[in-house]
Amino acid sequence: MKPCNFIKCSNMSKLRIYQALIVFLVCVPQPGQAQKSDAAFTRYLQPATFSLSKIMMHDVVSPPVASRYYAYCILGAYEIVSQHDNTIPSLDAFITQYKRNTIATDKNSYDYRIASVYCILETGRLMLPSGYMLAEDEKKFITDLQKNKIPRKLIDSSVAVATYVAADIVNYSKNDRYGKLSAQLRYTPLKGDEYWYPTPPAYMEAVEPNWKTIRPLMIDSCSQFVSLPPVTFSKDSSSNFYKLAKEVYDVSIHPSQEQLRIASFWDCNPFAVATSGHMSIGFKKISPGGHWMNITGIAAEKAKLSFASYITAETIVGITLMDAFISCWDEKYRTNRIRPETYINRYIDIKWQPLLQTPPLPEYTSGHSVISTAAAEVLTYYLGDQLSFTDNSEELFEIPPRTFPSFRVAAAEAAISRLYGGIHYRDAIENGARQGKQLAAFVITKLQAAGIKPMDNPQLAADNRKP
Amino acid sequence: MLAYEYFYNGGGVAVGDINNDGLEDIFLVSNMNENKLYLNQGNMQFKDITKEACKDLAGRLGGWKTGVTMADVNGDGWLDIYVCYSGKVSDDMRRNQLFINQGNGTFKEEAAAYGLDDKSYSTQAAFFDYDNDGDLDMFLLNHSVKKIDNMELASHRDEVDELAGNKLYENQNGHFVDVSKKVGITQNPLTFGLGICIADVNKDGWQDVYVTNDYNEPDYLYINNGNGTFRNVADKSLRYMSQFSMGVDIADFNNDALPDIVTLDMLPEDNRRQKSLQLQENYESFSLMVNQGLNPQYMRNMLQLNNGIMSPASGNKGEATPTFSEIGQLAGISSTDWSWCPLFADYDNDGYKDLFITNGYLRDYTNKDFLRYWGDYKIKKAMDREPVLLMDLVQVMPSTTLPNYIFRNNHNCTFTNEQKQWGMDKPVISSGAVYADLDNDGDLDLVINNINENAFVYMNTARETTKAGYLSLTLRYKKPNLFAFGTKVWVYNHGMVQYQEVNPTRGYLSCVTTKLHFGVDSASVIDSVKIMWPDRLVQVLTKVKANNLLTVNYEQPKPEPEPDDNPVYAAKPVFTPAANLFTYKHTDYSENDFKRQLLMLFMYSKTGPVIARGDVNKDGLEDLFVSGDKNRPGKIYIQNTRGSFYEEPGSVIGDENTSSIAAATFIDANGDGYADLYVAKGGYSLFEPNTPALQDELYINDGKGQLKVSTGLLPDVSASSKSCVRPCDFDGDGDIDLFVGGRVVPGRYPTAPTSYLLVNDGKGHFSISSTPFDHIGMVTDAQWIDLDKDGRKDLVLCGEFMPITVFMNTPSGFIDKTSTYFSSMPKGFWFNLTVADIDGDGNDDIIAGNLGLNSCIHVSEKEPGELYYADFDNNGSIDPFFNFYIQGVSYPFVSRDELNDQIYPMRKKFTSYAAYAQATMKDIFSKEELDKAGKLSVTETRTLLLLNRNGKLVPADLPMQAQFSAVTNVIADDFNADGKKDLLLLGNRSDNRLKIGSINSNYGCLLTGDGKGNFNYVSQPLSGLCIKGDVKSATEIKVNNTKYIVVGICNEALQFYKVQ
Repeated sequence: MKPCNFIKCSNMSKLRIYQALIVFLVCVPQPGQAQKSDAAFTRYLQPATFSLSKIMMHDVVSPPVASRYYAYCILGAYEIVSQHDNTIPSLDAFITQYKRNTIATDKNSYDYRIASVYCILETGRLMLPSGYMLAEDEKKFITDLQKNKIPRKLIDSSVAVATYVAADIVNYSKNDRYGKLSAQLRYTPLKGDEYWYPTPPAYMEAVEPNWKTIRPLMIDSCSQFVSLPPVTFSKDSSSNFYKLAKEVYDVSIHPSQEQLRIASFWDCNPFAVATSGHMSIGFKKISPGGHWMNITGIAAEKAKLSFASYITAETIVGITLMDAFISCWDEKYRTNRIRPETYINRYIDIKWQPLLQTPPLPEYTSGHSVISTAAAEVLTYYLGDQLSFTDNSEELFEIPPRTFPSFRVAAAEAAISRLYGGIHYRDAIENGARQGKQLAAFVITKLQAAGIKPMDNPQLAADNRKP
Repeated sequence: MLAYEYFYNGGGVAVGDINNDGLEDIFLVSNMNENKLYLNQGNMQFKDITKEACKDLAGRLGGWKTGVTMADVNGDGWLDIYVCYSGKVSDDMRRNQLFINQGNGTFKEEAAAYGLDDKSYSTQAAFFDYDNDGDLDMFLLNHSVKKIDNMELASHRDEVDELAGNKLYENQNGHFVDVSKKVGITQNPLTFGLGICIADVNKDGWQDVYVTNDYNEPDYLYINNGNGTFRNVADKSLRYMSQFSMGVDIADFNNDALPDIVTLDMLPEDNRRQKSLQLQENYESFSLMVNQGLNPQYMRNMLQLNNGIMSPASGNKGEATPTFSEIGQLAGISSTDWSWCPLFADYDNDGYKDLFITNGYLRDYTNKDFLRYWGDYKIKKAMDREPVLLMDLVQVMPSTTLPNYIFRNNHNCTFTNEQKQWGMDKPVISSGAVYADLDNDGDLDLVINNINENAFVYMNTARETTKAGYLSLTLRYKKPNLFAFGTKVWVYNHGMVQYQEVNPTRGYLSCVTTKLHFGVDSASVIDSVKIMWPDRLVQVLTKVKANNLLTVNYEQPKPEPEPDDNPVYAAKPVFTPAANLFTYKHTDYSENDFKRQLLMLFMYSKTGPVIARGDVNKDGLEDLFVSGDKNRPGKIYIQNTRGSFYEEPGSVIGDENTSSIAAATFIDANGDGYADLYVAKGGYSLFEPNTPALQDELYINDGKGQLKVSTGLLPDVSASSKSCVRPCDFDGDGDIDLFVGGRVVPGRYPTAPTSYLLVNDGKGHFSISSTPFDHIGMVTDAQWIDLDKDGRKDLVLCGEFMPITVFMNTPSGFIDKTSTYFSSMPKGFWFNLTVADIDGDGNDDIIAGNLGLNSCIHVSEKEPGELYYADFDNNGSIDPFFNFYIQGVSYPFVSRDELNDQIYPMRKKFTSYAAYAQATMKDIFSKEELDKAGKLSVTETRTLLLLNRNGKLVPADLPMQAQFSAVTNVIADDFNADGKKDLLLLGNRSDNRLKIGSINSNYGCLLTGDGKGNFNYVSQPLSGLCIKGDVKSATEIKVNNTKYIVVGICNEALQFYKVQ
């Protein structure tokens, strides 16, 4: 499914709906038919997640905060699925401090898939600052269902379930100390040449310096995966640190086309400011977390996952992303390291500008390296190392799609892209990837223990089910 | 504008008599179309003579014209016209043009021949004689076309950009030569020169230049060194400046014969537009700006009042650098929206210069919704698979069409907006403008160049409708400067002086009349007119008839050269800087309290240096305590008989790394006859209430002049930060008790801190006695005065958001008798209370230092400032919201970004800047929430004199200079030895929210008293004071029978002044 242009989507879907409708009218739903019926609903999942992304772009939500929204919005959907199917472990088997609240409604009087999709939107509507805009998407979803002759009564009861669970998730979210962030000390850059300072053009304040205080979903604490220490700072041109910075500089002088493409592809900066005189305009993009949620959807569709598996994939990625950001931000604000742009301007070339706009946060470790590696590991656990996919997440921003043979390759590219982009040193990338890998390993162990098992050969399955 | 940033900056206008017929003609610049030259035919009739005068006058086809000036460049007695070019076009398209007046109604373009066909990106040119050799040179104001965002620009500053850097052209026998490098002007690519004005700001006979700079680059104040070079003194002379400086004018608006400066910026007057421009305050960005030598800059118009040059007796080593007090907010002219051209002139002929300001912008993209809009627009277009249209972007930007502003001078450093009354209320987007008496009827008319609209000519009807008179002077000097550029004129009329210089290039892109116009109100004969010609020779005319268009020709006057006209220069000032009695430079922690509580108005951490005076070693000589800083603890300085001080090595007072000393006083706590030291702890930082950091200390004198901290003598007083400690034997039992004022609860502003009455048991043990003022509010100061003369000293308190409160000391306790002493007691910020018998009637009067009138916070009884506070979102932190009135409605001070950062759920409530822009407290919170919240208010920001008269404390006015800044310390004494009490007001506060900015226009305000309660301001040169920075403490001290004052300034060296 392409991530844009709903007109095209619904045209295609009209055909599918008719097919599904015929099936629905003629046959009693049977296990063999479940996959087809599922497809009628899985096709709503990417658009629903993308609706969240749109709102977050509008609200200029920072990467860590975005990951929190994605995680909570998908948790409710997962909970609905797991309450429908008791082979799917409940959230309270692996999510910290979560207590299941059983859905009272009779299983047969609502469709768990409708409820699941609606729950994603409803949770977003309740949580996001401009969440009210999602009321429109909810209405469109219901209208679409009605157009496909799904009985009003079924829709209404499914919506009621979704509303119940969404409120429950929002309640759960209220204890993660997000609300206490505004009472905390704001960030003051440390004094010293080695420390981070705001960067041009807008010299924006450091983003979410207290993010490490947020309650993680699965890892034990924000500092559970402290990274290896960074290379020691030095202004000396013979030092290792200078060499790191020089590498960033040298790469930027003669980048290859491919390096430029890669840097742009993984930019994922929710708000890059361009100035012209007194005018400033913000260029918005999907955040790193949003990018990986989209990749998850692409992979799920490629692998023709059932609805429940699709949701599971999104959920384990969403959880991993949230915890990975908490871990990464803990490291960033422990080390408070200077950005390449600042260092290079001071000690190598005053006029140098990186290809990408330096995000307003300390440098070590690289966010993309940590979270992309973590997400890729979890996806590899669930869907295997052989699932190739074409990622068109950035098409909306006029960046052409890229094809990857596996999640790990994509993550490795996301990590190194930060060097090409001129915003990270190599050690932040390599150690960040290591940090992400360790975090994911921990998550995977817990998922396994909870009973979330990998899909059997998803690529093969995908190949077998080619339309 | 997306291609060329200054696309919407407008064009200039010049007015001058081009055919020497006594009527002022007009030249209007058009950026893209044809310039126009209009011949004045009298009776407000004008004829377009552009084509007949010279076909090139219309401007080069395809060129982008900016500023225009008129001057007699070739010295033949006919005004020539110089037109500037800019734009992102080819070099040759940008060559400036010089139209030489042929004397017969025609012009010839000859810039190349004169060496003035410069191809820089030019804004404006000003002709003036910089080297006093008799001919006119030229300063060319240019601008860069590429804004550099990086503020760490050290290496850029030494570059020379041939096309963006300003230039000085020296007139060498009629040919102009670029001498920029040798004269010392900045030519780097960071200059965005928009305004230029020439004046002799330090009155030394050499013309100085003020150049404004848009964006981060600061303005330059080039003082002419008199030897062919300039030096930029902006950072020494100005405390801060406009950030996006546009036009500039220099004129004496307060009639003290010192030229003042006004620069314009972009701050709107109304709340709605202000809120739609505000993002989060960025302290790091501001700090970087200051650290890179870019000076503090704030986005608002600045009115820089010239304080004059300090005399040599004041330690001025002949540098002749003036200081300026910025008073735009006090004056009421700080916010006129996106403004361009300021013009000081006496429009109503009452003898004081008024102020006209043009404003407007065609496409307003500073709106913060717009900043975010573009991103959404692009995504939507991508999703709809539609192309992005640049015109869509342009059209979304609204036009800011506002009436221009015109302000009437109130004669007391303030102005009143007369837009409606004077007929200036038509909304229009204007840029360049000039004044001139177009119909020769004795009042100044205005010509305004507008964007996409006809030019406006406003005829002044003052002469028709009022009796106010005028004097118009046309000055004829000698060749080649026949139009007398650089001449100075003083008009003395009924005890008042008016001062002007012939420097017609001023305002923005424009050039006013070369004639000097003075309003003389109802005078029919003017006492005298003094003219100082460019060669410094003086010509005086006496008993000049008013209502006169007078032409004065240069006559070889009697040789009486006046090297300077500053009579105060030679006088002996009241204070003279003294050699350091001892040396100490306070080093501040650079803390930012707003990181802890985002919405406070002021910081509380910066309490030091604290000074206390006492005789520690009982030798009859006064000693001093000075608190420490991050590098050292507090110390005692003992005075010896030779009049110098030495550090007492055994006394180590406090440790600023663990606590902050906020106040100190010497008392004989244990009655052994030796001075002990009580040190009150305060500050804010990361201190927590009820911890040792906030516990006061008592240092007991060992009888040999050493002070040692004692334990167990004080009760626990660590509940809050303190502000003051005032000793008094309030219960008359023979020992000294203490009032200790609570200032703030760190982290819990503005909840009421705890104040203490500490009762001495006679042996230095203190215990807390409960009183009605234990939680009275955020106390800043207190004084013990026996108001009712019953032998028991009463307690007068003041504090932030508090009234000045009187507690009568009665045998049965303290009773609040505030209403007995005040008929109405205003609530203020009140930083200080000082007691003195001002009017010599035997009753103590009070001087209460306050915030002053020079800030954005304007309050009154009718329109109070109100602070609502509560933990609205139940997350453990207090959310304080300060509101004050703007144009009749009370609005919250907080911006949308700040609100969203303080209370996250607000992000859902106001989804855009526009949605929040007109919100009041009632829109932000529900009635229930507001009813339950705490509420404090403030109704008075003026520093007041309260005279003790007939059992009441009656407010009396102080001179306006007392309101220029926050007053934190006051010393009352007879400084000028005339037998009457004077007042020295010190203060300043720079540790404020960025939106408030530094309030530091006080250089040491000396007010001399007449013994009856009236005061006069003494100018800085006459007072001898030039105190820059935030004064935290000050005291008098006697050394060798001479009085000194010691001034403690945050993060600066202590200053010592000898009192004459």
